[in-house]
This record gives sequence, structure tokens and C-alpha cells, in this order.
Amino acid sequence: MAASDKVQAKIQREIFELTTSIAGLVASFKKLKRPLAESHEKVPQATDQLDKISEQTEAAAHQMLDQIEQITQREDELIKGTEHLKAKIQAGESEEAVRMIDKIAEMANNNLNDAYMIMDSLQFQDITAQQMDHAASILEDIETKLDTILDAMGDSVRSDRAARVAPKTRAYDPHADLFDRKTNQEDIDSLFDKKQQ
Amino acid sequence: MSQTILVVDDSPTVVKFLSFSLKGKGYDVLTARDGMDALEKMSSLETSVDLIITDLNMPNLDGYGLIEAVRESQEHQETPIIILSSEEGVEDRERGISAGASSYLVKPFKSTLLLTEVSKYLN
Repeated sequence: MAASDKVQAKIQREIFELTTSIAGLVASFKKLKRPLAESHEKVPQATDQLDKISEQTEAAAHQMLDQIEQITQREDELIKGTEHLKAKIQAGESEEAVRMIDKIAEMANNNLNDAYMIMDSLQFQDITAQQMDHAASILEDIETKLDTILDAMGDSVRSDRAARVAPKTRAYDPHADLFDRKTNQEDIDSLFDKKQQ
Repeated sequence: MSQTILVVDDSPTVVKFLSFSLKGKGYDVLTARDGMDALEKMSSLETSVDLIITDLNMPNLDGYGLIEAVRESQEHQETPIIILSSEEGVEDRERGISAGASSYLVKPFKSTLLLTEVSKYLN
């Protein structure tokens, strides 16, 4: 074989190896593309969910603070009312005393109702806990996708972490919402009434 | 003798909230953290449960599974079951009906509405 033929064969072999290597790289990048694209889509979902939690906890806290403010105002009036009541009783003005007792009872009743409303509002904890579970599951999904990328790159981070952290079982409603009610109770009741007929 | 209500929910906040509201109206309240826990508690009870209030999304055994299991038992075929869930889609409601639920309330709910619903089944 002539020297020039040897050189040509060597070049051909190197070009073939280079082509194989590039093909391998392209295949690896293709493998990375999907998890990267999916992670890219999921990050805004998780961010939106966290923003929603922040907004809804703020709204629920304001609602409760408004109710507490009303309760404390009534409590002030109640304290003053009992002092007046005492004075009226001591002065023997029984009719006025009875009227004041009725007013005090009415305020106490309103306070009780507001206390129940605060309790109702505290359900925000359950709803936002479900929203947080949803956000966490999106982030876990992103983590899995990133692990796939690391695996493809020959990194062993995933197995180390997987050995450390046991996956948490999450049971949640991805649509849980404190304010955005899509159906009303009457519609639901009528569905159940039809079933019972 | 007061009537017994079984509250099944994996949220400790909801369980506490419901227990407070129902005990305030004189009912005895038993609690379970998921469907499986509820079935275990029901099987070990000496007294019967008069009404069940259950969530849908729960680990181990969800609300649908619990309702189906309860309806299969001789003892609890007629026990009223109220679903309390943040799921408000038509599919969820229809699945609740098919499983054998008596009522369906969407979370968050007003405690007065729940107490009215409970009093429909218990006197």
C-alpha cells in the first residue's frame, strides 16, 4: 500500500470515528431535550401555584382580622354596656336595664357567629396545604426530569439522593381553591336529590 | 343517648374543626385519618356509627374506596355518608353518587351548612 493510501485510510477511519462520536452526542442531546422542555414548562406551574397560595393565605388572614376587629369592637361595647347596666339596676330603672340586657345578648350572639366564621375561614389551612402538595409534586417531577438528564450525562447524583430521601405519599386535589368556586351547592344537591328519587 | 359521627380526613385541621362543630351540637365524634383507618375503627367498635363524613383524597384508601367498602357491609348499607371535598367536578360528584354517598359538600364550607346537612339524617 502506498504511503498516500495509508494516510487516506487513516483519515477515513478518523472521520468515521468522529461521525460516530457526533451521532452519539446528537442522540444524547435528543435524550436531554424532552426532560429539559418538560422541566421548563413545569417551573412556571409551580411558581403560579406558590403565588396562589401566597394570595389566598393573605386574603384568608385579612378576612379573619376583619372579623376579629368586629368582635373586639363589640367586646368594648359589651364592657361599657355592663357598667351602664349596673348603674341602671342600682337606679331601679328596670325597663332600661332589660333593654340593655337584650342589646348585650344580641352583641354576644353576633360575636359567637363571627367566631364560627373565623373557624370556617381556618379551612384555608387545608386548602393551601393541598395547593402546596401540588406545587411540591410538580417540583418533584422536575427533580425526576433533571435526574434523567444527570443520568444521561453519567452523573451519579440521583442514586445518592434517592437513597437518602424516601418519596412522600401525597393525596391532594390539584384544583383545590379557597375562593374560585365553579359550582354551587344547589347544583350538587339537585344531583343527589335526583339519585334518591 | 347521643349519636355517633365518624369523621374521616387526612387533614388534622379539618378533623379538629369538624370535631369542635359536631361536639358543640351534642354528637359523639370518632375520627380516622384515611379510609383504611376508618374501616379498622368501625370493625373494632362496639357501638354503631350513625353517620360518616369523609374526604375523598386520602392516602392508603380514598373516600370512594371507603364508601364502597361501607356499602358492601351488611351493617352499614343504610348509614348516611356525607362527602366533604375540594373536588367539585361533575365526574367527582357522579362518582360519589355511584359509590353510594348520601350528600356532597364542597370545601371550604360553612359549618352551619354542614350542621344542617347532618341534621337532615340525624334527629
